[in-house]
Amino acid sequence: MNPDFLAWIILFLPLVAAGLITLYFLPQRKVSAGLSTGAVIIGFVLSVIFVSWAGWQPAIRESAATWLAVGPLHVAFGLRFDPLSLLMILVVTGVASAIHVYSWGYMHEDPGFSRFFACLSLFTFSMLGIVLANNFIELFIFWELVGVSSYLLISFWHERPSAADAGKKAFLANRLGDFGFLLGILIVWSSLGSLNFGVLQDRLSAHAGALGSLATIAGLLIFCGAMGKSAQFPLHVWLPDAMEGPTPVSALIHAATMVAAGVYMLCRVSFLLDASALEVIGWVGGFTALLSAVIAVQQDDIKRILAYSTLSQLGYMMMAVGLGGDSQAMFHLSTHAFFKALLFLGSGSVILALHHEQNIWKMGGLRRQMPVTFWTFLAATFALSGVPPFSGFYSKDSIFAQATARHSYGLLVLGLAVAVLTAFYMFRLVFVVFLGSSRSPACDHAQESPPVVLWPLRLLAVFSIIGGYIGIEQVYEKQFGAAGAGHPLWQQLLAPFREAPIGAVLGILAAVLGFAGAYKLYSNVAKDPLPDKLGALSRAMANRFYFDELYQATVIRLHDALASIADWIDRWIIDGFCVGLARGGTDLTGRALRLLQTGNLQTYAFLFALGAALVLYLVLGK
Amino acid sequence: MNIALLSHEWLVLLLGLGLLLADLWLPPAARRKLGYVAALGVAAILLYSILFVRLPAGGVEYAFGRMYILDSLALFFKRFFLLAALAVLLMSVEFAAEIQSGLTEYYALTLFALAGMLFACSANDFTLLFVSLELITISFYILTSFQRARTLSLEAGVKYLIIGALSTSFTVFGIALVYGTSGKLNFQDLAAVAPQLIGNKLFLFGLLWVMVGLGFKIAAFPFQIWAPDVYQGAPSPTTAFLAIGSKAAGFALVLRVLFTAVPAITAQWSHLLIVISAVTILYGNLCALPQRNVKRLLGYSSIAHAGYMLLGVAALSAAGQSAILYYLSGYLFTVLAAFTVICLVMRHAEGEDISRLAGLNQRSPLLAAAMALAMVSLAGVPPMAGFFGKFLLFKAALAQGATQHGYYWLVGIAILGVVISLYYYFGVIRAIYWPGNAPDPSPIPVSRPILLSIYACVAGMFFLGLYPNPVVTLTSKAASALQAETAAIHATATLPKAPRAAWTRSLLGPASAAPSRP
Repeated sequence: MNPDFLAWIILFLPLVAAGLITLYFLPQRKVSAGLSTGAVIIGFVLSVIFVSWAGWQPAIRESAATWLAVGPLHVAFGLRFDPLSLLMILVVTGVASAIHVYSWGYMHEDPGFSRFFACLSLFTFSMLGIVLANNFIELFIFWELVGVSSYLLISFWHERPSAADAGKKAFLANRLGDFGFLLGILIVWSSLGSLNFGVLQDRLSAHAGALGSLATIAGLLIFCGAMGKSAQFPLHVWLPDAMEGPTPVSALIHAATMVAAGVYMLCRVSFLLDASALEVIGWVGGFTALLSAVIAVQQDDIKRILAYSTLSQLGYMMMAVGLGGDSQAMFHLSTHAFFKALLFLGSGSVILALHHEQNIWKMGGLRRQMPVTFWTFLAATFALSGVPPFSGFYSKDSIFAQATARHSYGLLVLGLAVAVLTAFYMFRLVFVVFLGSSRSPACDHAQESPPVVLWPLRLLAVFSIIGGYIGIEQVYEKQFGAAGAGHPLWQQLLAPFREAPIGAVLGILAAVLGFAGAYKLYSNVAKDPLPDKLGALSRAMANRFYFDELYQATVIRLHDALASIADWIDRWIIDGFCVGLARGGTDLTGRALRLLQTGNLQTYAFLFALGAALVLYLVLGK
Repeated sequence: MNIALLSHEWLVLLLGLGLLLADLWLPPAARRKLGYVAALGVAAILLYSILFVRLPAGGVEYAFGRMYILDSLALFFKRFFLLAALAVLLMSVEFAAEIQSGLTEYYALTLFALAGMLFACSANDFTLLFVSLELITISFYILTSFQRARTLSLEAGVKYLIIGALSTSFTVFGIALVYGTSGKLNFQDLAAVAPQLIGNKLFLFGLLWVMVGLGFKIAAFPFQIWAPDVYQGAPSPTTAFLAIGSKAAGFALVLRVLFTAVPAITAQWSHLLIVISAVTILYGNLCALPQRNVKRLLGYSSIAHAGYMLLGVAALSAAGQSAILYYLSGYLFTVLAAFTVICLVMRHAEGEDISRLAGLNQRSPLLAAAMALAMVSLAGVPPMAGFFGKFLLFKAALAQGATQHGYYWLVGIAILGVVISLYYYFGVIRAIYWPGNAPDPSPIPVSRPILLSIYACVAGMFFLGLYPNPVVTLTSKAASALQAETAAIHATATLPKAPRAAWTRSLLGPASAAPSRP
């Protein structure tokens, strides 16, 4: 028996859950949450069974159902199985399971509890679709579905104008990138004649220059799609605003899965990207990483700090893709999924305890009241800062090693600078929120969150710690060639020092430097000392380098001007003249024809006979 | 001759007669429930057909001296009609209160009309074509005027009767001329001699007269004139059956006559078919614009849909014929959903004005959603069945565009028709969802069987719109039966004919003896 039917079940279970909840179970909160959580946990279990049954490289690489076959037109709906997609479904269903469980606790009081779970399930379905898609069209459909479900979830509290605006902003920024993506897909289709990833790869390996002069353009257009989803400069502006959504959403969508889709997609089609496109991708990634790390240093909202940190880490992944290190990019994506989801869930736990307070300067000393949250958060911070033996160290180091191997020292320096900043802003966060003394009465009365919130934290913490040496990278290397033999655990623990000692040592130095800076400035202070020291620069950082204002003044103003011109044309020329004339004409014809229908039987019979005569004349009269 | 071949027809007729017998002993109060018995019976026959009826290895079997044919096309239509009748019977039970007397006859006549349709899709001979057409039409004359206390219903019945009789006379005359010129009634025999008769005007004249009768059935321009009045006046379940069953039977016969009996001549008629299709689309859509009565609106819309399907006939290709079958399948679920809702909402109301739908969203969200989805599907908006059907039809027509530019124009006009139709279909949706004064704010009770039927229709609309491949495979197989027979005829044209059964010879004696005329 083929194991591939399991994959179909994994994919469609969340959709079934979403449908059932929407149609039947909206008033029954427990049933809704149970369905949604059950679907994703079963999905995770089935994914584990699937991988252990079929192995990382199943004999059957694709499972396709013909969606439509009419003559030569043949459209398939298929799933692709390879190490890349299999490990990703494990990560997606695994992290999503933890977050579903967490949401029981976090959203408990919310009146839209059932709706929340329906949207979450729809999102999980779309994300699994992206991961498993075996052709561009299918990928694009799920890509858009992810966009829609993320819109629904960001503006979940739609009665708040800020949430509704954030949802709109995210959707529009994504659509902007997707337009380029679609153009890229069309170029690939027209020049290669197929959209199936396997077929495309075969054609390109058989005939390397098949894309010809369009190669770079196609690559960059496809990168546009990734730029929107993975929030790369200059489309990065939507991600921080998306933090208006509930915290589990930030953890699932804006840390572990949706934003990773861009990186995933680029790795999936990396064979399409040529050297100059990769160069651009690498530098855009590096720049985004640095820019957002700098901004993160001066943010005061706990979720925004994490959001900018996500941007910065996505920049790392893009940089890795640009350096030709797909397995390194995916490695960092996977470890990042664990520790960033953990950071968001931890921040959610804090926010819950402080009754939806998000300003870090009103927190402090929470270590005593919330020990589990503190220790797990600390573990994730170590992982993010790249401290061995936490997972982030290994994945980040592999990117540095790739940069060294490619002699791309510019990007290496950029990456190290970002590593310093990362450690700095993360320990700033830890010092201010968990250590020191409390800065508001709410902190003194804060209570540790319920177990349903804490268990997902513990689980994710385990993976954040050990994620670096349980063989994740080896699985990805199976996909992208150069598969090293499996090593015993202790060797993997030390692998970075053996294989790329320069990167590893520099990485640790960067983390230590960032930690020292944060300790000096932020251990036990009442307010942020940096604004006094940096002055105008600090204000610019706090205001995110005025990107939103810049877009407001240029792009949006231009857009508004164009829109008002289009509105005028639509209102007066198209609506008034064209439509008016056509409508009047159509309406008149309709009324005139109605006169034929007199209701008089003799007329009917006469018209009938006349019609018969007309048909005769048409055929025989000539 | 193989009696088992006709099992669908026998079973349906027995069911109808059984109902009439049962009526003698049942108390009047229990008669309403007989509709459920009829529906159950039809469901059982459908189940039997799907589970046990298999085509022989060659894919074709004949009965009554090749008058009757059972191939994949016939089987497709038989199941189609059974499904339609099932939903119509369930609807009739809901409608029972509006029928003053003779309720059991109403059910039985519906079954007899169904038997006519089952025969029609197996017609392989002009005789059976005529008899089955009459069985359908005469049953509908009575069904249409069944609400005897309602003037509108009586008027509709009379109009249908007279125009129908007129069209029958055309058909009979046409058949006589075809027989007179060719000496053949059997479709395959005709196909063998038809190429020699292309220049014979009398023969063409006869064929055209037959097509007039079929044009009346499918309500194509210029024989559509009766449709709006009859649709409006007939009891709602009958209107539904007329819109889907009678029309589909007409199309089954159109396909058989044009593509099995006289393919050589049909190939010359692309121009005529293009013109008729285009005018039918425009006429139906334009006339629907100012309508306020929902049933009348659907009457005009059914004319437009006949036009879309004629586009597939005009394409003169297997793809076009398969697209018609696909379109009909989508149309089945859509029209049944729409009429079920109309039947439930307006059964007690005098006049089916669109404004009666106001506030339906509050009265029954399910019915409101089903009606809205049906309108969206009729308008041809993805992801509903109507969209995919139109896509296949247009694709088939465009594929022929290289041979004749008229096809491009035809598709252009069809798209224009779709645009016009959006206006009135969405007018219905607006009436449902826009806040308006509901004439009667009470919730609408929906019985369990009808609930099932609505769910099935909605599921069908979505399925055909979202996952077309299984049904596309089915329809292209059914349509290929048409081609295969044509090919087989050309191959076996010279072979001696199979001996006919004795009774057929006595019925058609002189004809089979007479030599074919030049």
